[in-house]
Amino acid sequence: MEILAEAVKMAFGSKEILKGIDFSLHNKEFVGIIGPNGSGKSTFLKCVYRVQKPTGGKITLNGTPLDELSYRESALQLAVVAQHNVYSFDFSVLEVVLMGRSPHKKMLERDNLNDYRIAREALATVGLADFEERSFATLSGGEQQRVILARALTQQTECLVLDEPTNHLDVKYQLQIMDIVKSLDLTVVAAVHDLNIAAMYCDRLVAIKDGQIVGMGTPRELLTEKFIYDMYEVHCRVDEDTSGRINIVYLPQHWQ
Amino acid sequence: MRNRSKEISVALVMLLLAVLLVLAFLWALSIGTVKLSFVQIYEGIVNQFTSGMAIETAGQGPVHDIIWLLRLPRLVLAALVGMGLSVCGVIMQAVVKNPLADPYILGISSGASLGATAAILLGIGVALGENFVGIAAFIGAFAMSLGVLFISNLGGRSNSIKLLLGGMALSAVCGAFSSFIVYFANNKEGMQSIAYWMMGSFAGAKWENLMIIGPIVILAVLFLWTQSRMLNLMLLGDESALTLGTDLHIYRQIYLLVSSLIVGFVVYSAGMIGFVGLVVPHVIRMLVGTDHKKLIPVAALTGAIFLVVADGLCRTIIPRTELPIGILISIIGAPCFVYLMIKKTYGFGGN
Repeated sequence: MEILAEAVKMAFGSKEILKGIDFSLHNKEFVGIIGPNGSGKSTFLKCVYRVQKPTGGKITLNGTPLDELSYRESALQLAVVAQHNVYSFDFSVLEVVLMGRSPHKKMLERDNLNDYRIAREALATVGLADFEERSFATLSGGEQQRVILARALTQQTECLVLDEPTNHLDVKYQLQIMDIVKSLDLTVVAAVHDLNIAAMYCDRLVAIKDGQIVGMGTPRELLTEKFIYDMYEVHCRVDEDTSGRINIVYLPQHWQ
Repeated sequence: MRNRSKEISVALVMLLLAVLLVLAFLWALSIGTVKLSFVQIYEGIVNQFTSGMAIETAGQGPVHDIIWLLRLPRLVLAALVGMGLSVCGVIMQAVVKNPLADPYILGISSGASLGATAAILLGIGVALGENFVGIAAFIGAFAMSLGVLFISNLGGRSNSIKLLLGGMALSAVCGAFSSFIVYFANNKEGMQSIAYWMMGSFAGAKWENLMIIGPIVILAVLFLWTQSRMLNLMLLGDESALTLGTDLHIYRQIYLLVSSLIVGFVVYSAGMIGFVGLVVPHVIRMLVGTDHKKLIPVAALTGAIFLVVADGLCRTIIPRTELPIGILISIIGAPCFVYLMIKKTYGFGGN
């Protein structure tokens, strides 16, 4: 599984959101994309999962340009967990998860026992095996996102795109969702808000600011006090423990 | 397996509804100014099939004529209209992702009224034959849906919001033209027939029309039933659907055209019948859930039963007078709708 992006540009009218992004994601890698609000990290991911069309550049999925793939073909290789939002329907949890089988289905094909088995396994993976009959709308935000993750797993793709999936969630659910994803041994690219979470889970980080890549490397290489100040204009202290894990402590003005 | 037993239970519900539909037909056939016993109905129906004579052949006795010429055609029409409107309501609510949508939402009602008004007051389309008002309304309704589809595709791909706003804008235009015609025609009698037409009626049902409308409505409903997976995806929204491998754009247009076709034929044969297409989908969603695979067939049968019973009531509730069906349905429908509004456990629009 490999995703390559070359000089990807995106503009809305005269406003350039992405000014030429070069990006690569290799098999079984867990790559995090970081950057301040409005930096273009989400827009870039949307180009990768095809909700937006880049106005320039090229993205390939296992060597094939995205334009040459049908939506169904790309949905068989790449599943998405997007930002949490409010849903206006009353499906049961199992029904939502089963929709992940859509790209595998022909027009009139019904869900068979195999599809149900895959959906139930995915629900078990995210720890919601007992929830299948529950109404999706009545779940908490953290549970809903895990159901959406289960739906993505039901697509049985090699690659998972996480577009700030843990926004608005409590720290417990943030860690829980990232733990589940980490345990799956898939190829993952994730837009991450929280730098500590990025440092905890990602093999490699790509930093985007003002539509351009401003840094790349392992969390330990990239996340220095100076770099974080340049990116976010926030003072911080980066602690490192004996095993080389880093921890970022933000320093508000009255502490300095 | 649990999903097996679930499928069986949906099949059971449908079987039960089919039995109820037959019972509703029998009840509605029996009542009216002349009461018929079930034995008479049974004999009248069996005789028609065994005699081999055409339905219109004279001299087959009053019972035969009451059943086959007066009551059955309008009941068949009521069932078709109920089925069509309920399913169109389900489709429209999915297509525009809005719980307030009904079959007429995209300006179809005002398109149809403009057509009918022009036909009644200006005599447009008199050459089209006896039901020229229905034909003009059909054309108005269908042209309106095409117009809304066209507008919503201007300046970028259509989406549910653009469809709704386009529908509202064109509705206002059509409404203005209708008022314009009414104002300048200054024709009291014509205004009365417009008002009567707007209330809807099954009285004009004829077998030769049913032979056309029946297959169209049933085939369209079956087609939409096969599209359950897409309709489910529509409720998730365009972005989620894309990541699940489906571009909904083209499907949205197809479903709108198919349901406009159904609504057009409903308007042609029975005028405007409100509330069925709004309330039935919600009630059924509360009972069987949002999955369109179950929702569409159950809503279709329930809508049919509802209008067959309503037609029976219309003919009998006031002695020797037929209450326009639109009035009765609004009287039943509006309280149902308020009940739905205040019932909080049901969350189509999000809680």
